[in-house]
Parts: sequence; C-alpha cells; structure tokens
Amino acid sequence: MKLAVVVQRYGADINGGAELHARYVAERLARHASVEVVTTCARDYVTWKNELTPGVETVNGVSVRRFPVAHQRRPDEFGRRSHRVFEKMHSFADELHWLESEGPSSPALVDYVARADVDFAILFSYRYYHSWHIARRLPRKSIIVPTAERDAAIGLSIFGPLFRGVRALMYNSPEERAMIEAATANAQTPGVVVGVGSEVPDRTDPGRFRRTFNITKPFAIYIGRIDENKGCGELFSHFQRYAAAFPGGMDLVLVGSAIIKVPNHPRIHHLGFLEDRDKFDALAASDLLIMPSYFESLSMVALEAWALGRPVLANGRCDVLRGQCIRSNAGLYYDTYEEFVEALYSLESNGPLNARLGRNGREFFSRNYAWSVIEGKYLDMLERLKREDQSRKAESHGTVEPMPGFFARRRRELLPAEEVLARIPRGAAPPQRGSYARSA
Amino acid sequence: MSDFTVRSDNVDVEQIMKQIRARIRDKRGVDYTEEEIRELANVRLEKFLDPKGVRSDLLQQYRASRETPGSPRNFAFEDTTLYASSRPLLATIRRLLNPLLKLFINPNPMIEALHIQSRLNDSYNRSEALYYELVHNLVLETTRLGLEVKSLKMRLESMASRLDFDERRARALEGVVQYRPGTVPPLQPPTGQREERRDPNQPGQRPQGQFGNALDNEGNERRSRRRRRRGRRRGGEGRGPMAEGRGPMNPAADGAAEAPHASGDRTADGDRGDGGGSSTPPTDAPSE
Repeated sequence: MKLAVVVQRYGADINGGAELHARYVAERLARHASVEVVTTCARDYVTWKNELTPGVETVNGVSVRRFPVAHQRRPDEFGRRSHRVFEKMHSFADELHWLESEGPSSPALVDYVARADVDFAILFSYRYYHSWHIARRLPRKSIIVPTAERDAAIGLSIFGPLFRGVRALMYNSPEERAMIEAATANAQTPGVVVGVGSEVPDRTDPGRFRRTFNITKPFAIYIGRIDENKGCGELFSHFQRYAAAFPGGMDLVLVGSAIIKVPNHPRIHHLGFLEDRDKFDALAASDLLIMPSYFESLSMVALEAWALGRPVLANGRCDVLRGQCIRSNAGLYYDTYEEFVEALYSLESNGPLNARLGRNGREFFSRNYAWSVIEGKYLDMLERLKREDQSRKAESHGTVEPMPGFFARRRRELLPAEEVLARIPRGAAPPQRGSYARSA
Repeated sequence: MSDFTVRSDNVDVEQIMKQIRARIRDKRGVDYTEEEIRELANVRLEKFLDPKGVRSDLLQQYRASRETPGSPRNFAFEDTTLYASSRPLLATIRRLLNPLLKLFINPNPMIEALHIQSRLNDSYNRSEALYYELVHNLVLETTRLGLEVKSLKMRLESMASRLDFDERRARALEGVVQYRPGTVPPLQPPTGQREERRDPNQPGQRPQGQFGNALDNEGNERRSRRRRRRGRRRGGEGRGPMAEGRGPMNPAADGAAEAPHASGDRTADGDRGDGGGSSTPPTDAPSE
C-alpha cells in the first residue's frame, strides 16, 4: 500500500502538535506501508517563510518531499479576512480568500499529491490550504486527521463539504468528533477516534532530574509553550493565590519556551526547553501535570503524564481535556479558582487518590494510546477502505459537493463563524460517543 | 479538603468533582452559578465592597471644585441692583425713567427671584464646606475599614489554611506509623477485646461507619482496619481546603499506603507505591 502523509511542516526538530503527530504516524505506518511525507519548505507557522530546501530528503527513515510556499502569510491581510469571516456576515468567496491568506499556499504541493500514484493521502490539519485543496481534488483517496480545536474555523462553510465528502476521518477525541459532526453533519462519513501515541521511555530517573535541577520539594509540572493562549496566565494567577494560601504546599515547575513573562515567584521554577530525557524524568518526578489550556484537540503531554502514572489537573473549560479526565478517571479539572485550589490540594495531599488516578491513567494510555493500538486503528481503517475500493462500495463516499456558482459564491449570506461555533454544544462527549472503538 | 474515599479499584472523577463543588458551595455559603457571578461582576458590585473600588480621586475632585479659579462668585441682588451704576448721574436717570420701563415690563418678580437665588447661593456655600469635611472623613474612614477587613480576612484565611494543612500532614504521617509487634500502647484493651470490637452488634461498641474507611461510597463493607483518630470528629467544622482528612488521607483506607511527599524520589518508572507499599500500617493496629 502506498500512502502520502501531507502536513504543513515536517522535521525532526519541528514540535508543533499536529506536525509531531504527523511525524509519529508517518514513522509508524512506514513499518507497514510505503510512506512518503509531502510538506512545505516552511519552518515558521506564522509566516510560512521558505527556510528548508525543496526536494526529497530522509527523516528518521521516512522519505520527505518538500515544496516551496508560494507566498508568505501577510498578518494584516489574514487578520482582516479572519475578522470578516469569523465575526461578520460573509460569502463563500470570503472564506476562500481567508483560506488563501492563511496558507501555507503551495499549489505545487497540491498538484504533486493529486497526480501521485498513492492509495491514500492522509491529510493533517483540516484548516490549512493543502488539506482543503487536496481533499477537493482527491476526495476518494483523502483521509483527514482534523486536529480540530474549538475555534471559529470549524464554523466556516467551506469545510462542511470536505468533512462530508472525504473517504474517512481519524479523530483525536470523541469531543472533536462530536464537534465536527455537529458543525458539518458528517456522521455518515467513516471515522474513528484514534489519537496518537507517544515515545514514552520504558524507564525514567526522577532522582536524576531532581539532582540536576536542584528541585527537592514536591511539585506540579506544566509542559508546553508558556503562552496566554495556553491558559498560562490564568495558571500563574491561580497558583500564586494558592501559594499564598498554602505556604507549605507544592511548587510549580514550568518546562517550555516562554512567550509571556513568567512571574518571579520563589515557588515557580521555569526550566526552559528540555530534551526528551529530562522532560520525561521531570514528569516522573512530579506529583501531577497541570494542563491549563482552553483549546486542545488532544493533549499529548497529558497522555505522556498518564503513561508515566501521573494524574492530570486540567482546565475544565476545554471539552477535550475534561472528557479525557472523565473517560480515563485519571485527572481532575477546574473551571474556577476555587475548583483549582481544591482539586490541586486533593491531588497533593491525598496520596491514595493521586496514586489511583495515576494508575488509571497508565491503564487508559495502554488501552487506548499504546502504539500497537494506534497502528491497529490506522491499518484497520486503511484495510477497510481498500476492501471498499475493491468491492466498489465506496460510491457514497469520496465525492465532494460542487462549489457554489459564480453569483452564489459571492452572496454575503453566511453567518459569522463565531456564531456558528456558539451553536455547537459544549462539554465532554456523552459516553456513547466516547467509544474509541466506534467507527461509522 | 480532600475527603474522598478511595476504593481499592475504583475512582470516579465526576463524583470527586461533585464533592469538590459541594464543598465550595458550603464554604461560599451562597451557591452562585458562574453566570450569576459574571452578572454581579457586570454591575461592578465589587466597587461597593472593595475598598479599592472607592473612587480614589474623590477628594481631589472635591478639592479641585473648591479651588477652581474660574468659579463664579455669589452675586448679591437687591431691589436697586438693576438700576445701580458707578456713575451717580446715570443711576439717577435710570431711576427717573423707571416708571417708563414699567410700562413695558414688570422687573419686580425678576428682582425678587434673583434676590432669593442669591441668598440660596450663600447658604449653599456655607454648607458645602461642612459636607466637604464630612465626606472627606467618611471616605478616609471607609477606606481604612475596608483595608482592615481585607487584611483580617487574609490573615484568617491564611491561618485556617495553615492549620488545615498541618492537620492533614500530621494525619498523613500518623498513618505511616508502624507498630512493632509486642508494642502495647497505653489503654491497650485486654486480650480478646479485639474480637469483641469486631462484632458490630455488641453494645457500647463504636459503629463501623464511624471509621472513615469502613464503608465505601456504595456502602460496601471494606477491610476493617483500625486507625488512630485524634479529635477529628467535630461535626461539620473544618470543611475548608485541607480541613478534614477523613478516609483518603489515611493511607490505610484502601491499602494504598503512601503518605504524600513522604517517599522522596520514586522508583524509576515513576511508581508512587500506590498499591500497598512497605509503609502500610498493620491491619490491626491497636487503638488508643
């Protein structure tokens, strides 16, 4: 079987969520099929500036073909178009302009995949240029890994036909699936909740971490970009209040590059970016992981914490994190400061509870996110689609609805995407939707 | 804070979150929903409750209004004011022509009204100084009281938290105490009493439900371990964060014996020793 994995950026040193996800999946599927990664020459997800050499190279044993981006993103234009489609009545053409301005615009990449001799193209991140154009030109071979967060882009009309017309969808979580189905009415499209595994080491050395970084007290850990969008501002505010209330309580260790200022507080330790070994040792040395993010399609670091038997304290306003905590029985969540402090203290002071949640997390990870499980789900889906191709049962799928006509495309009658998003139900997915094994 | 009973093989996160929210409601006294809280915030209630919300520029505004150089002086208005002039001849002519003026208009009501207004202005100016003093003193006193209340609340919260924290840690350490065989604490009951105590039907015996881990959330009987308790049953008090310390803080609650933070570095795979580690107290630790 020949597969193309298409993603906006790719590289051993590119650690964005969807990009890392794509790399893990490509490297794992390469053990079972012929895989070529098709991507751009960009490294920066804000500008899409061409920084890498076009052509073919090998990354961790996988062939990677790069295409230049036609033009960089212009932030002013993108902001203006985003404002138009997210907050005002707009037209289909406005949304297409938005997609073009978002990028990474690479017609050569789209042409290559459309003409390539592959059985299926696995497209990562629904919202980018490459996914939309390839899925429209090659719907029968397109499998989308949406990596959709609860943001306004899901309310854009251009994506509805895509989700309804491609061959299959590989969701990250039941919440993501529920959101996309509510937004685009694509329940009939084959799909399965898969997620992604992680390269968690078999053994960790928490003592080494404590010695290296001179951290002796119990601590909670946050791993990721330290950014307002990730909820870190709120985390700092909550933790400082908590620290004032409980002078003998645990510390907070931050791992990751800081976009916002980290408070100068004796109980907050910012270690910067760490290598994987240090990161996993830190996670193993911690009492719990805090995930303050408001928007996630799947928190890989939460999965890693669970893989190491650490409970998670998550932001309950993120449907996915809340749902993961409930399904795994391996984490608590908070909406307010009061809930934050109560839940944090429960995890800190209640050893048996902490240990039980950690154990549940470990079981949850091995049951749903071990690589054997993830690979199995991908291979099952690919085999199923292949069988459908052979028996010609796939007529109803793999056909994207036609574009609106010239005038219809320019009629400004589409609702603001924010308004569409607001109508999509919130909350953790109900149990029947939470089945990881379910596939339509 | 965390009085969750941890069963040996089951934890329900949603149930725990319900307990957390119930405790928050108890502490808060009034159960506001998030929407209600936002609504209150929208009307800026805190402006009236928070000393910082008192307009800090109130005094300055008062002072500024009093000291504005362009403020008009009060105008004394008498019945002759309309005809007055710095030139005596002109004033005389005006007075002579007054009957002629009254053919066209009647100035008397206007003169009377302006005279009253002038007196009112005088009265206002005198009372304004008093109001200024009064408001000035009230603002200072309110601010002082507000700060004092806030300071006291913070001290109270801090003391309560520290107390709860210490209590829980003490109980956690207490839970990992191992009694050596043969060690008999004071008040050790005579031989055979242990068996008697285990019979729930014996009169005068502490009911099983009094032990935090005697029954789990669903009422199932659990391992009847005994543990020492020190004045923990105090009715509904001690409900704040870290306030109680029933079941979960006792590592014997489900056989998970690790005391929080008592283990230092953990094993290489990050195991917390949650499944009955070496610090598990003996199942029949004698009671005091």
